[in-house]
Amino acid sequence: MINNRIKEHPIIAGFDKGPEVKFTYDGREAAGFEGEPIAAALRALGVMTHRYTVGSGEPRGIFCAIGRCTDCVMVVDGVPNVRTCMTPLRAGMDVRTQAGLAAKTPTPFEGLDPETGAFLSAEAVSDEAI
Amino acid sequence: MSVMIRRKNDSPFAPQPDDGMTVCRCEEVTKGEIRRAVYDGARTFGEVKRRLRTGMGLCQGQTCQRLVLAIISRELGKSVGDLGKVTGRMPVRPVLMEELSRSGVEGMESEGAEHHE
Amino acid sequence: MKRYEVIVIGAGPAGLSAACAAAEAGLETVVFDENARPGGQLFKQIHKFFGSREHQARVRGVRIGENLLKRADELGVKTVLGATVLGVYEQKEVAVRTEGEVRSYRGDAIVIATGASENMLTFDGWTLPGVIGAGAAQTLMNMHGVRPGARVLMVGSGNVGLVVSFQLLQAGCEVPIVVDAAPRIGGYGVHASKLARAGVEFRTSHTVVKAIGAGRVEGAVIAEVDGSFAPIPGTEETIDVDTICIAVGLSPMSQLADNAGCEMEYDSAKGGYVPTLNDEGLSSVPGIYCAGDMAGIEEASSAMIQGSIAGAAIARDLGYLTPDEFGERAERWRRSLDGIRSGMFAPGMKGRTDITNTDEGYPLSASLLARGFLDGADDGIFPSMIYSGGMRPIIECTQNIPCDPCQDACPRGCIVVGEDITDLPRLDIGKKCTGCALCVGACSGQAIFLIDDSLGDGYGTVGLPYEFLPLPSPGDPGKALGRDGEVVCDASVVEVRDSKAMDKTPMLVMKVPVSALGRARFFRPAENKNYA
Repeated sequence: MINNRIKEHPIIAGFDKGPEVKFTYDGREAAGFEGEPIAAALRALGVMTHRYTVGSGEPRGIFCAIGRCTDCVMVVDGVPNVRTCMTPLRAGMDVRTQAGLAAKTPTPFEGLDPETGAFLSAEAVSDEAI
Repeated sequence: MSVMIRRKNDSPFAPQPDDGMTVCRCEEVTKGEIRRAVYDGARTFGEVKRRLRTGMGLCQGQTCQRLVLAIISRELGKSVGDLGKVTGRMPVRPVLMEELSRSGVEGMESEGAEHHE
Repeated sequence: MKRYEVIVIGAGPAGLSAACAAAEAGLETVVFDENARPGGQLFKQIHKFFGSREHQARVRGVRIGENLLKRADELGVKTVLGATVLGVYEQKEVAVRTEGEVRSYRGDAIVIATGASENMLTFDGWTLPGVIGAGAAQTLMNMHGVRPGARVLMVGSGNVGLVVSFQLLQAGCEVPIVVDAAPRIGGYGVHASKLARAGVEFRTSHTVVKAIGAGRVEGAVIAEVDGSFAPIPGTEETIDVDTICIAVGLSPMSQLADNAGCEMEYDSAKGGYVPTLNDEGLSSVPGIYCAGDMAGIEEASSAMIQGSIAGAAIARDLGYLTPDEFGERAERWRRSLDGIRSGMFAPGMKGRTDITNTDEGYPLSASLLARGFLDGADDGIFPSMIYSGGMRPIIECTQNIPCDPCQDACPRGCIVVGEDITDLPRLDIGKKCTGCALCVGACSGQAIFLIDDSLGDGYGTVGLPYEFLPLPSPGDPGKALGRDGEVVCDASVVEVRDSKAMDKTPMLVMKVPVSALGRARFFRPAENKNYA
C-alpha cells in the first residue's frame, strides 16, 4: 500500500507542515498538509502521473521538483500549467491531471486502497507502519 | 525565421537506433529531429531552437540545452565550447504576457524586437 | 524606480554571504529569490560539511543555512521571496516578477548568484514518472518529508549522488545500486564507504540504458560501458527499482550574466558557460559581480566565501570600506578559499583518473575507487588505520580531501592533521584515547571507528557512527557487517553514545570477537526495518 511519508528521521526533527486539509484530486477527495507543495502531497499518496504531453500523450510526473522543468504541471482550480512542485496546497483545492492544456481524469489510479477502493487520505497513510 | 541552409553534405542522413528518444521534454523533440536539423545545416543551439522549438517550451531550455548542445557537438565533431555562446534572453523564466503588459518595464520591447540574432 | 545600493540575485549560500558582507559594511542591500524559502539548496543538505573550522566544517548544511539567514536578518538585509528576476539590463537595472506583476529596480551594484541547474541524461524511458533528478529526491525527502520512492537506482557517483544516496537510506528508502559510467567513483571515498558498508553496491563503468514500466518506473536496465561510454551489448542487467535518480553533475545557471552583457566563456572544468571574472568576482561589466555555482560549479563552502569577497568588494567600490579594510578581509577569505579548493578533488581536478597516490605517497585504494570500500590490500598502509592495541581510533580516511575537524575534536590530541587540511590524519599513539567518541561524531565522512580489544574472553568492541533510525538499544543482537556490507560475524550492541556535541551522529558500540575488530564496520539489527 502507498505510504511515502517519513514518520521519523534520524537528522530532521520535524517537517514544517500546516494542518491537514482536504482537497480534490481528479474529482476524488484527498488529504495533505496545508502549505506543502501540491506535488509533495500527491507523491505521499502515491500519485506518479501529473500530466500527459500534448504530442505523444506520454505520462509525466515530478522530475526536478524545484520549478525548473515544468513537467509536474497540472490544472489547479481550473488554471492549467500550474507547477505543482512550487504551489502550496490549500484546503479545497481542485487538482486535476493535465492532458495537453486541459484537465483529464485518467484511469486507473495507483493511490487507491486495494481493499476498499477508496482514495487514500493522508490520515490513513500516516497511521500505517513504515 | 528561417534556418540558413548550409548543407554541403552529399552522404544521406544516417538514422541511429535511438533517434526516437525525446530530448526536449517540453516540446517533445527527439534526438533524430535534432540530428536531422544539424544535417540540414543548423550549427548552433539557436539555429536548432528556431527550427524545432527545443528550449522554447515552458522550461526555457533548463533541462535540454546541455543535451542539445551535446548532440550538435557530436554531429559536427566540434567541442561544445566551439559551438558559440547560447544567448541568455529576457525573460529567463516563463512569465504570463498579461504580467508583462501590466508592468511597463523598459527594455522589454527592445529585447522583444531584437528577436533575430 | 526604486534604487538599492546592492541588489543580490539569489538567496543561496553565495548570495546571502554577499548580502551579509555588503550590509555589514553599511550598504542598503536587497536579495531577490524566486523560491518561497531562502537558503538555496542549503536546507536540503542535512549532512555535515567538510573543510576546516573557518568553513563551518562538521556543521550540517541546514544549520549553516539557518545561521546565514539569521545573520542576514540581523544585518538588515532585505530578502524578497517569490521574486523572479527576469532580466538584467544596462544601467544595472533588474526586472523582477512578484505576485503577478513585473517591476524594475536599479542597483549601484549587482551580485548575480543564481546557482546551478542539474544535468540530465537521456536513456530509453527517461521521461517516465519515477525518473527524477537528485535535487528532486532531496527536496521531497529532506524538505517535505516524502520519500520519492521505495527502491532507488542512483545514477552518478559524484558527491551529490553519494550524499543523496545516503540521505535516501536515512529516509527509509532502499538503494540497491549506484552506477557511474566513469571507471572510478567520482566523489569522496568516505561518502562511498558509508554506502558500501550499509549494503549499497557500486557499479563503475556502468550506466542506465532503460527505464522499464508502463506509465511509471517499474524497473531499470543497466549495462557496462566501454572506454567511450557506449553500452556493451550483452552486459544488460535488469534491476528491481521504482525510482531512478539522476545525479550526473550541475551546470552554472549563468543566463542572467549573459543577459546583463557580461563577457562569457565556456569552461568545461567549471561546468559550462560562465562569466569571465577577476579574483573579486567582478565581471566585464562594471558593478556587476558574480558568485557561487553560476560562476563555476563548486561546493557551498566556496560559494559562501566567493559571495563574501564580492559583497566586500562592492563595499569598497562604493566607499564603505577602505582598500586596506577590504584587502585585509579579502586576504583571509582567499586563504580560506585556497584551502577548500585544494586536494585531489579540487575544482581543477575534475575527471582526472591518473592520480595513483596521495600527497604523502600512499597508494590510493583501487577497491575504494572501483567498489566504494577499502579492502584487505589497504590494511597496514595508512598510518591512521594501524591498530596498536587498547582503545584507539581507526580513521579510514585515505584521500586528500580538505577536512580537519577530527584533530580539533580529540581533547587528548590523539589525531593530527596539521596545517594543510588536505593532509591525511595521523594517530599520535603516545597519547591515550579515552573512547570519548567526539571524533566519531566530528568526522563529516563518518570514517572514524573506535576499536578496543580489552573486553576479555576474546571479545572486543567497535564503535561506529550510526545515523539511522530506529536506534538500536544495548543488548540488541544483530550482525556486524564489513566495509563491503557483507556479514562478518554476529554482534550485539553494548551501548549507544550520543551527546549534543556529536550532533545526531551517535556512536554505536558493538561487541565482536577480537579477530573481527579489523573488519567489522557496521551493525545491522536482527530486525531491520530500514533496509534488508
